[in-house]
Amino acid sequence: MSTKRTRESQARTEELKYTMHQLFRNPLVVLGLVLSVFFIVASIYVTKIMNPNALTNPLGLGNMTLGSLSVNPSIFLNILIYGAIAYAIQRLYGNKWATIAFVAVIFIILYVPIPQQLQAVDPNGPSNLMYEQKLCWNSQSLINWGTQTTSCPASTNYLLGTDDFGRDLFQMILIAIPLDLSIALEIVLIATAFGVVVGAIAAYSGGKIDEVLLRITDIFFAFPGLILALVLAAVLGRTITTLTIAVLIVWWPTYVRLIRGQILAEKSKNYVEALKSLGLSSRRILFLHIIPNSIYPVLVQSTLDIGGVILTFSALMFLGFSPSPVLPELGNLASAGVTYFFQAPWLIFFPGATIVVISLAFNLIGDGIRDVLDPRLRR
Amino acid sequence: MRTIEYVIRRLFLMIFVLLGVSLIVFYLTHGVPSAWDPVTAYINPKMTASQIQAIRIQHGFNQPLYLQYFYWLRDLLQGNWGHAGNEASGLPVTFVFSERFPYTVELSVAATIITVGVGIPLGIISALKNNKLPDHVSRIIALTGYSTPAYWFGFVLQLLFFYYFAVWGLPSLPSHGAISETLGGAVPRVTGVPIVDGLLGGNLTYAWDAFLHVILPAITLAFISLGYLARIVRASMLEVLRQDYIILARSKGLRERVVIYRHALRNALIPAATLTGLFLAGLLGGAIITEYVFSWPGVGQLSLSAVFAGDANFVAYYTLVTALIIIVANLIVDVLYIYLDPRIKY
Repeated sequence: MSTKRTRESQARTEELKYTMHQLFRNPLVVLGLVLSVFFIVASIYVTKIMNPNALTNPLGLGNMTLGSLSVNPSIFLNILIYGAIAYAIQRLYGNKWATIAFVAVIFIILYVPIPQQLQAVDPNGPSNLMYEQKLCWNSQSLINWGTQTTSCPASTNYLLGTDDFGRDLFQMILIAIPLDLSIALEIVLIATAFGVVVGAIAAYSGGKIDEVLLRITDIFFAFPGLILALVLAAVLGRTITTLTIAVLIVWWPTYVRLIRGQILAEKSKNYVEALKSLGLSSRRILFLHIIPNSIYPVLVQSTLDIGGVILTFSALMFLGFSPSPVLPELGNLASAGVTYFFQAPWLIFFPGATIVVISLAFNLIGDGIRDVLDPRLRR
Repeated sequence: MRTIEYVIRRLFLMIFVLLGVSLIVFYLTHGVPSAWDPVTAYINPKMTASQIQAIRIQHGFNQPLYLQYFYWLRDLLQGNWGHAGNEASGLPVTFVFSERFPYTVELSVAATIITVGVGIPLGIISALKNNKLPDHVSRIIALTGYSTPAYWFGFVLQLLFFYYFAVWGLPSLPSHGAISETLGGAVPRVTGVPIVDGLLGGNLTYAWDAFLHVILPAITLAFISLGYLARIVRASMLEVLRQDYIILARSKGLRERVVIYRHALRNALIPAATLTGLFLAGLLGGAIITEYVFSWPGVGQLSLSAVFAGDANFVAYYTLVTALIIIVANLIVDVLYIYLDPRIKY
């Protein structure tokens, strides 16, 4: 029995190696990988170097803490995640040094202290000014309000201008990236896990359970996603947690359908019969053999959905479900730009462009993997 | 016969799905008493307190929530949907919806035309030049499309074609609404779709103005969705090109163009056709973000303000109608599939 297991996992490793090889031949996938690794590393750095006061509201509307939003999980979780990745690298390339290097880099990123430098609140923005007068591109620029113009304080230099609270937009975007990324990853992970379990149960048990679960997903598919999320957000309230739940409720049925189809196809294959005749329990066959063999399309969909989730979540923020106007979230930052659109187009342009690039990075990876894994195009 | 059985089975299942949808909609819009007071939707300001109490009893608002659902369902089936607007003076929701729906139809159809017109050629080029430069370019366009927030792209288009074109002295495109304010009401309302009304009323200026207004929002919607279509066309085209009958057609000595356009394309476009149908159905439900960004007077924008105003009746009506459109479109598409692809049997 144990030799059989080993052979099967060896075959899987071979398959994975081939897939990786195919994948890295595609320049766009490499671009996507580089971009997403960049964003993840940047997120980790930002949460590390961030001034704890960065989110202090300059208008005195109350403080906001970043504790629950941090992308930096507990040490235990880190060891678990990076241990798994290191193990995968070890299996894939069989190279001890690559693994050690990887672990070392991650360790440096996570645990070597960096002096805190980021100050999100601009000290030059006195709070008694009108919002409009805090808008600023850089020290020489004038902002045209039709009848009058306002100028920026001298000796200030902003890479991407300031927002209507007088905060440096570049720094706000830097803070927003980890928030958006961690929320998107959270939503996709939970939705995938939930969808896979429900879909697997539906497909493997069949009959009435299958029918009922399918009809439930049908109900969710009948709503356009954004509308359901909007109504849910309106009912549940405006906090980050409730918005996350709203998007989650919209997202999980996709995975149920996907994994169900995969498992149904996999169930009829010969090896499942063989395993059954060996006397294995059906739970064991399902979770140790069928799901690992049919999970790849789901993972591709998850990768593609990271972008989609960021879009949906930030759209909810943009449309006005933000818990606070000062929350540095990309959609929320962009929504501030609607009011001053023709005077200060950077307010909406740069946060939006950041969303495009993050989302594109994950879509490039997902699309490339889908191409490589497509059985119709394989070998 | 099999097809008819299949359709009947689907219609039967549709009832259950609709009931589930109505249950969710009901609990979302009526299950949170602090957010929405359901009785306001049925009254007008002239009513006395006792009349209001009578309405409360008539519609079962004094009953427990699960019973209220059945009262609500009864009203719904009788066509009594209440009034729109959180204020008691609103018009019937059905009227408000049908006033705005034609605008959404115009925008959806325009966006679908652009999506199909650009997305399908993009997918075909991608498949024919698989893994070469044109494929990569079309992949970038497609993936950028569905990585782009609609509000961002909409504003960028407005900034460029409305604001900067005007600043540079070029002819600029309108950025707000479905028709210029000066032309409002210039032609009688027949269908409610501005372009069609302009043409029917013989007022070409009106039709042209309406056409100019639809360009930017339609491009926004099309850009964010044509990528998906292009990827589907590419995948199905690649699959078809590997089939035996294409090899046969080539070995007969047919020209490549004939092989592709006459033989391969027909089968490759079947998934695209169905996808386009579903896409149109989704848009008919209202492209909320795009309508909001372009102040388009369609149902999507209205639903957004209804959600914020706590207008339970309009939100309920809107979500139910949208769900119905999508369910019916799914059914139509699945049935069409049988005719488009004779290999499929249910």
